[in-house]
Amino acid sequence: MDPKGLAYFAAGIGAGLAIVGGAAGIGRLAAAALEGIARQPNAVADIRGAMIVAAGLIEGATFFALIVTMVLAFK
Amino acid sequence: MSALVLALLLQAHPAPAATPAASQMQPVEAPAAGATAQAHSPAPEGHTPADGGEPDHGAAGPGDVLMHHVQDGPFLGIFPSKHMVFLLLVAVMVIVVAQLGVRSYRGGRIPRGLGAAVESLVLFIRDEIAEPNIGHGDGRKFTPLLCSFFFFILVAALVGLLPFSATSTGNIAVTLALATVSFAAQQWAGISKYGIMGHFYNLVPPGLPLWLLPIMIPLEILSMFTKPFALTVRLFANMLAGHMVITTLLLLIALMGQMSWFAGAAMAPISIVLAVFIMLLEVLVAFIQAYIFTLLTAIFIGMYAHPAH
Repeated sequence: MDPKGLAYFAAGIGAGLAIVGGAAGIGRLAAAALEGIARQPNAVADIRGAMIVAAGLIEGATFFALIVTMVLAFK
Repeated sequence: MSALVLALLLQAHPAPAATPAASQMQPVEAPAAGATAQAHSPAPEGHTPADGGEPDHGAAGPGDVLMHHVQDGPFLGIFPSKHMVFLLLVAVMVIVVAQLGVRSYRGGRIPRGLGAAVESLVLFIRDEIAEPNIGHGDGRKFTPLLCSFFFFILVAALVGLLPFSATSTGNIAVTLALATVSFAAQQWAGISKYGIMGHFYNLVPPGLPLWLLPIMIPLEILSMFTKPFALTVRLFANMLAGHMVITTLLLLIALMGQMSWFAGAAMAPISIVLAVFIMLLEVLVAFIQAYIFTLLTAIFIGMYAHPAH
């Protein structure tokens, strides 16, 4: 098979898998944060700060995977 | 970026007309077809799909346009590196704005205008980021550094959204340099407080069973280096991803236009609306990434300054 085609194929599947993982992580995070805010409305500021940091970490891990797929697709 | 997409559009639109004409003429007048192709090719920056509608998998495809948009390159013909030009520009902007902000404090006046705007952000960094995460006293010491990180990353990302500019933090070398400074600050926080031996002694939590030490020591030393590495890639990928998404959305017009004129015209409003939306999202991302980089640096400094927990 054409190696370039295979690389595009792998990049597409890799990007999809990365987004599945990232979406699952962010979704669970948002659900937990909303639940926490509903239970304890006074703690909105603290929960938001912690949520943004955790979202940044999840996002960073997802971007590691995305960069690998970019390298596959464009190099 | 917009210039590139425009060039692509101009390339794509004559294509349905040009390709049949060229194929009809080909047996008789090959030089004429070559001449039309030549007339197309000296478009701006030379990164356009060759000869309009032809399915060309050669040098210049969508991937090349994407990479050209985010990669470093010569600027205005005289500067070797576009990212470096905008890095210096942003650095100068931050210094000038900070000086102008400080100036409104001279003579014990209450700051107004720019000074007050800068002050609100600096106070936010000191009271919400530095002091809670590094600790009172230590937090004040690191506030200037954290402010530098915050304003540089914020201004670099916002300047990168302007037409014909580049996001210098979208270059992994720049983010690596930022993370190196952050790494040095983290180690300095530990070393200046506990001495160099005490700092490394603190890496392992006290009261650990002895048989865990062979696992914990390499792990802690590894985590010392993964922290700045994560900071590097996070900022780099965030700055890259937004620009890539915008370019891809606008490229869709050209790709659709290669199929048919109508598809391109129908795609244009959708692409433009989506691109504007992502552009607005990028403004938000600029603030969030500046905040996250600053906050994580503060948290890591705090981990080394107060290692007991």
